[in-house]
Formats: sequence, C-alpha cells, structure tokens
Amino acid sequence: MDSPKVNEALGVAYQIPRNSLALLMIAQIVVVLPYFMQLSPWIIAVGLFCGYWRMGVYQGRWDHPRRWIKALLVIASFAGVAVSGVSAYSLEAAASVLILAFALKLIEMKGRRDAYLVIFLGYFIIATQFLFDQSILVAIYELIATIMVTAAMVGMNQLHTRVRPLASLRLAGSLVVQALPFAIVLFLFFPRIAPLWTVPLPMGATTGISDHMTPGDIARLAQSDELAFRVVFRDPVPANKDLYWRGLVYSDFKSGTWSLGPQFKPSHPRLDENYSGEEIRYEVLLEPTMSNWLFALDTATAEASNVARTLDYRLVADDPVMSVFRYEVVSRPGELMDDRLIPVIRVREKKLPEGDNPRIRAFAQALYIDSGKDVATFIDAVLRHIRQELFSYTLQPPTLQREHSIDEFWFDTRAGFCTHYAGAFVFMLRSVGIPTRMVGGYQGGEINPIGNHLVVRQYDAHAWAEVWMAGRGWTRVDPTAAVAPERIELGLNAALSLTDRAALSLFTSVRMGDWGFLGRFLDWTDSLEHRWNLWVIGYDTRFQAGFLENLLGELTPTRIGLAILLGGSTSVGLVAIALFWRRRPVHRHPVERLIRRFGDRLAGFGYPRVASEPPGAFIRRVAEEAGLEATQVDNVVAELNTLLYNPSGTRSGTEIRQLRGQLRRLQFRLAFSLSH
Amino acid sequence: MWPGSIPPQDLQASRFGRWLDRRIPPSRQITLSQRNIFIFPNLTGFVFGGLLLLLILGAVNYQSSLVYGVAFLLGSMFLLTILYTFRNLSGLALELVGTRPGFVGEDIEFNVRVVRPQGKGREGIQLGWPEGIKQWAELNEQEAAGVRLFVKAERRGRLDPGRLLVETYYPLGLLRAWTWVDLGVQSLVYPKPIFQDFPQSTPGRRDDGQLIDPLGSDDFSDIKSYLPGDPVKHIIWRSYARSGELVVKRYASFVEPRLWLDLEEVSGPLEERLSRLTGLALRATRLEREFGLRLGATEITPAIGEAHLEPLLRELALYGLAES
Repeated sequence: MDSPKVNEALGVAYQIPRNSLALLMIAQIVVVLPYFMQLSPWIIAVGLFCGYWRMGVYQGRWDHPRRWIKALLVIASFAGVAVSGVSAYSLEAAASVLILAFALKLIEMKGRRDAYLVIFLGYFIIATQFLFDQSILVAIYELIATIMVTAAMVGMNQLHTRVRPLASLRLAGSLVVQALPFAIVLFLFFPRIAPLWTVPLPMGATTGISDHMTPGDIARLAQSDELAFRVVFRDPVPANKDLYWRGLVYSDFKSGTWSLGPQFKPSHPRLDENYSGEEIRYEVLLEPTMSNWLFALDTATAEASNVARTLDYRLVADDPVMSVFRYEVVSRPGELMDDRLIPVIRVREKKLPEGDNPRIRAFAQALYIDSGKDVATFIDAVLRHIRQELFSYTLQPPTLQREHSIDEFWFDTRAGFCTHYAGAFVFMLRSVGIPTRMVGGYQGGEINPIGNHLVVRQYDAHAWAEVWMAGRGWTRVDPTAAVAPERIELGLNAALSLTDRAALSLFTSVRMGDWGFLGRFLDWTDSLEHRWNLWVIGYDTRFQAGFLENLLGELTPTRIGLAILLGGSTSVGLVAIALFWRRRPVHRHPVERLIRRFGDRLAGFGYPRVASEPPGAFIRRVAEEAGLEATQVDNVVAELNTLLYNPSGTRSGTEIRQLRGQLRRLQFRLAFSLSH
Repeated sequence: MWPGSIPPQDLQASRFGRWLDRRIPPSRQITLSQRNIFIFPNLTGFVFGGLLLLLILGAVNYQSSLVYGVAFLLGSMFLLTILYTFRNLSGLALELVGTRPGFVGEDIEFNVRVVRPQGKGREGIQLGWPEGIKQWAELNEQEAAGVRLFVKAERRGRLDPGRLLVETYYPLGLLRAWTWVDLGVQSLVYPKPIFQDFPQSTPGRRDDGQLIDPLGSDDFSDIKSYLPGDPVKHIIWRSYARSGELVVKRYASFVEPRLWLDLEEVSGPLEERLSRLTGLALRATRLEREFGLRLGATEITPAIGEAHLEPLLRELALYGLAES
C-alpha cells in the first residue's frame, strides 16, 4: 500500500473525487440490478446495503466500517454463497462472488486504486450479465451501465474541486458512442475461435417443452407467448398442417407421466445422395432452452458439426442451448424413419407398465380385433372413435387422478388437450403390441410479414404420436386433428373456446388475434429481435465465415487484418477529425463580421491583419502603406468605431449597410492604389 | 523502459536527458505538439488491458457474442482515449511569467502561464518540477491559467528547477500523456539570513565622513559671526580686538555614517559569513540605513532602499560561484 504522500509525489491524487464516487455508487446499483433475475435476492440485498452504507459515508453521516465488521461481512457473504446450494463451479456461484466482491469493495474503498478495482469489476459484471441474457433490451441497458461506469472513471481524472457529474456523464457517453464504430468493425472481423476449455454454464430451469410430459404441461405452455424459435426458410414455407417441429420422443410411460426412456449415442449421419423427393432447407434460431434438444421437421439432417442425430431421428446439440443457437437443417419429408426396426428400439417403443388403465386396454383389444388386427384400420377406428364420440378440445381440462388417468380421460372426462389425445392413442396402440411413441415439439407457427421468417412460440407446443408400420417406417398420427382439426390447419387460436381464450394473457391474445396496429407493432419488434439474433447473438464462427467470404472473397489473415486496419483507421480518424478540427471563431456581432470579411479580402492582396490589431488601426496602416491620405479613411474609421464601441449606438440595419458600402469602396480604392 | 520511468533527479544527466535536450530544446515559451508529447499506458492501463484479455477469453469460452461486444467496445474506447489524452495536452502553450527570488530554506515561486487553444475539454492537467508538489492547471472554462509552482531552495546561487513536467491522465486514467519542457527557468536564491547587531561604526574622516552634528566638538569647521546663544568660549577674542566684531569658531563632529558590510569583518565559515551579511543587509534596509557591500574585489557603494538591496543580495547569492 502506498502512503498518500508517495501517491501525491507521483502526481496521483490519493483521494477519490466526490463526483466520481457519486457516479460510482449509482453505477453500482445500475450494474447489479439486472441480476435480480438470476441470483438470490439476498445477494442483491447485500449489494444494496453496502451501497447504502457507502452513501452514509459519502454524506459524512457514518464512518467507514470497522475492520471486524468488514471481515464479518466478507465471511458471512461467502458462507452464504457456499450454503445457498449453487454448485461451487457454476456460473451463478461465480457471478454471486463477483457481485459480493464488488459490493464489499465499495464500502472498503478509499483510494484511487480501490476505485479502479471497483470500476473494472463493474465492467466485468456487465459482461457477465450477457452470459445469462443477450436480448436487445439487456444490451441497451448494459450500454447505459457501461456509460455510467465509464463516467465514474472520467470523474476520477477531473479536477477535485468541481462536482459536475453531468459533464463526466456526457463525456463518457460520447466516448462510448464514438467507440461503437470500431467496436462494430472488430465485432465483424475479429476471428471467432472455438472454446479453449469447457466452462460452467448458467443453470436455468428448462424452458419450453421438457423431457417429462404430464397432460397438463402443454396446456400450461399454451398460456405463454414466449418465443420458442424462429425459422428462416430457404425454400417455400410448407403449409401449416405440415409444420410439425419434432423435438422430443417420449417412450416411457409411468403413473401418468411420459418421459424419454433409454438413450443411445447420437451420430452424425450424411445426407443420402440418392434421395430425389422433396427437400426443405431452413435455418432455425432457437431461443435458450437450457437443454440440448433441437427442433426440426421430418426427416431432419443437420450438417453442423456440433449438432448430432439420435437413433429416434431427433437433432441434439452437443451442449445445452444457453443463448440463441442457430443450426441449418435439411428436411426430407419423403425419407423413411427406420424402414427396419432394430430390436432395442422395438422393445423401447412397445413397453407399457403392467396393470394400469385396465378399461382402455380392454377397449383397445376389442377394437383391434374388430379391425382385423390391421394397424392402419385400427388407427382409423381409434381416430373415428374420437371424432364420433363427444370428445372436446380444451386448455382447461378437468384434473385427472395419477392412477388410471388414461382410463379416466377416455371414458369419463372426455375433455383434454393434445397430450391427452396423443397419450391415450399411444397407450392403446402399445397395449395391442404396435410400436408407437409419443412425440413432443411444436406445431405450426406464424409468418412475420416484415421479416418473412416463421415465428414459433410456446403456445404452439404440441404432442402427437408416431406409429411404426412396415414399409412406411415411423408414421406421424395426430389424434388432436381428429378432435380439433382447426388446431392443425390454422393454429391454436382457431381451436380455442371462448373460456380458453379469456384465460390467456393480453399479449398472447394479441399475438394470436388480429389486433391491427398493436399486432403490427409486435411484428415489428419480433422482426427487430430476429435481426438482432441473426447479426449479433448468432454471429458465430460459421456465420462470420460466410459473411466475410461474401465481403472479402477468400479469407486470408492479411485480408482480415487489412479490413480491421481500414475500418479502425476510418472510425478512429473520424473521431480525430471531430476532436482536432478547430472551427473559426464565430463573430456574432455584424460589424465584427464585416471587419473579418474585409480583413480576409485585404489578406488576399498581401495585407493581413495582425491578430491584436484594432480594426481602425488596421485600416489606417493599410491605407498608409497603399499611399492613401489619412483623411480619406477618417470617415470610415470613425463610423466603424462608433458602431463597434459606442454602447448606446443603435446599430440599425441601415447603418450597417452604409458601413458595408464604405468598406467596399475603400477596398476598391486600396486595390486600385495597391496595383499601381 | 519508457521516458517516464526515469527518476527525475537523473533526468538532466541521463542519456535520455541529452536526447530530451535535442528533442525539446529549452525555450521560454513552448507550444506542445506531437513533437514533444509522449503518451503511454500507465499501470492502470495495463490492468485494463488485462481485463480486456480476460473478457475475450470469457467470450471465446462461452461463445458469447455480446461478451465479445463488451471487450471490443472497451478496447475501442481505450484506443480513442489515446486521441483524447493526447489532445488534452496538444496545443497548450506554456510560458514562464516570472519567478521571485528567495532565501535558502524557502519555497521559491515560479509563475507559469498555460494557455489552451480554442475548444473546451482540457481537464486534469498537472504541472510540476521533478522535486516539488504538482499543481492542477484549471483550463476547462477559461482559456489561460497561471500556475504557481514552488521549489524548495537548498543552496544559494542560481536555482535551476530542471525540466517542468506537464502531465495528464485525462479522461480515463488509463494513459499518461506527458512532456518535460525546459522553460529556461532559473531563479536566484539568496543566502539564508542570520540576524545580528550592526558592527560598531568607525569614526569618520573629514573627506568621506558625514557631518552628524554641525555643533559637535571634534573638528574645526569654519568661522561665523556671533549670534546670541553661541557658546562664549568659541568667541575669537583676538579677532574682536582687531576688528571690533564678534566672531565665533565653529566645530563639527564627523562620523563614518555609512554602514559597510564587509565579508572580512564578520566571523565564521564563508557560508555563515554570507548569511550574516544578508541578515545585516535586510536589517539595514528595514531601518532605512545607508549601507554598502565589500565582497572581496566587489564593492557596492552605499545607498538606501529596496532597489539597492536587490543587486546587493544578488552579489551575496552568487559570490564565489562560477557564472553559468
């Protein structure tokens, strides 16, 4: 620790300027606030408490905390993190420690070095927030936070005696804004490299469809208008009824809950070159799900190296999707899934627990025998049964018992959502020994008319069934289409009853319905967000390579270096011009303007006006050098001095016009005598 | 190693100092430009660079575009700060307005005037001698500022405070822009005064003494006619007998009235003697006595007042020192 004296001798004032301190305290609050979403409230509370204490110190009401209080706070805080249940190596733990350190340092901070530490921590905390959330709004917020922190840093270097937080803020703002162009150049051209080592990722709860499915799950998702993913089609968009975004395959059924069942190592299949049927190419920008399953149309192949395909034809990412994840997919609706069924899959997709739901088992058995044990006929019979009996489609079905829930639904309540119908269907087919499975994902989506991309939201979540048939492989059967065909043809909104619709949130109903201006506004924000995802969040190694190849041709280090250099010198050069350009002094006074113009013209003849020379003296000097009589300029000089210096003078327009005429005549006369 | 890391004491003597003399030659008035401004990150700047590296590492490992974004934004800002910091000094005109001589042990004042070119936004500029406390130049609002700098005077003679350091960390404190200008400044340092009583005045001779009492009793002065009240014993009776007129002899007292401060007449080692003379000179001036100085071969004829004191002190300050 340097003594204050040493610091002073080094020319660094030891104390933190008050201006900077005030800004730093505000910046601290701004920086910590967004973590309300990710961290436990007590950490934020510790942060605010420290801020409050520091405010007391700032106002001179309290003293800096004593050493033992600080020690106690530090120990208590870190013990708090340790017992709070987050894993020691998780991102949450790291962020908690970071914020606690930031807050505790604030009350301890006295000298400049401490203040700089707090400032740098502040920048770090700003960046860390982006590991949790990268939306536009957060980005704008953090840009403002960056300006705040920078302003505190500016305040550190301004004169102590002044308290001018606004001036510091303004300078910090222009610094950050002026830094943006080159930052964008770097963002576009700086080579993105693969991760060097694996890091802990944020552990949010899975959003969207999960790997367990109880009948109520999808009904709950239907209440949410949160974005699931966006799709940019390279080919024409298929009809709504064909947009089955397959994501999960549920093979295990136990006590009313469907789950994934045994998993096998995924592979990276190549596209079959002999395929000649229809092909749909598109790119999906998946919102963070905190899980690694991806959504795609049948039968999907992804060419990216970090996307694999499971044995049940699902696409999975190597790592959980923590921020917007983009992947290119080729879907071939005509390609069979499993033309021959391998034993492990056959076993997996036929298994049912013993003894539950006896009524529907008997019902299925009878119907199967009636259908002549033909799979297709049997399926038709089941669907016909749904269509003909009084089944209804609703988001608010009656609650079912956990035991024998399918029996209860099929025979008693007869009201349900896609999960109920698909679940009952799969159960019936399995009970007669046909390999069948439940599939979860999304169905449909809306086209955003501005961006021309497809938007799939949580309320598009859907569940359906797949039946394996010899010669046709896994075939999609959607029992919901039997009870509510409009759901599949037109989307959820068309299938909802009035009571269902009343239960939706405002935004959800606006998104679903035709609300004119508001709807268009939402389209616009969606399209903005999409572009943000495309160009900012999703700007990864692959996309960068594509973009830069378009721009620069072949990618060589020299070219990239030159591009950064060019972009950098342009953007920095512009700022340099703005900084160093010295404008001519503006003469507000009309007489001064006249004199300056007169001086400029005479300078053209080789008689420049000396900076300190009064205008009258200048005219007399030039007149003398030009050989004019002094009396010839007396008039002009007198007039000029009156107009310039007489405080009670009127300076009317006519007088100024007169002076202008006089000066012009004088100028001609001078020019004449100077040329002789 | 960069220029700022050289200890100021060794500045003049070092190779860097010689280079600096060529690069920024001494001048009473200097305008700062790219010729004479140095700029380099300070320790905080390097730590900031470390922070940027950490951020980029985080961005790489987390594959987070916006963490890249933060790193690039801060990096770009750092780059721009070079311009800002440089501009903060660029165009400043420095001029030595004057110095006031002082005595050994005092802080000698140097007045430096700093004028900024047009345009606001010049803040956090500090000026200082290598040994001395730095002063802020307040230039944001006004166009010119006078900065008073002090150097402690250790020895008598000419005080050369060395090159003047002008530095700024503005706006972010990550970079230091600085320059060492030589304004050709020198100030006189008088010996530290030692006060003592005046030496005994010596009886004067008639030719250079001063009449201190026209009616004294020491020396015959002249003859004048008797006026009542003149001492009767001064009447020249012989003359009265001759002419019948009463005349009296007049006597006057003479003393060496001018104080001579002579190096030879005070005791002690040289520096102490000079100090004593300084103290005497100051005292004599305060008491408005006429005095002169004898310093070996140099002699300053006696006179009175501040105007007389200054050259006298100057001689005392420079006595025995090689003229530079």
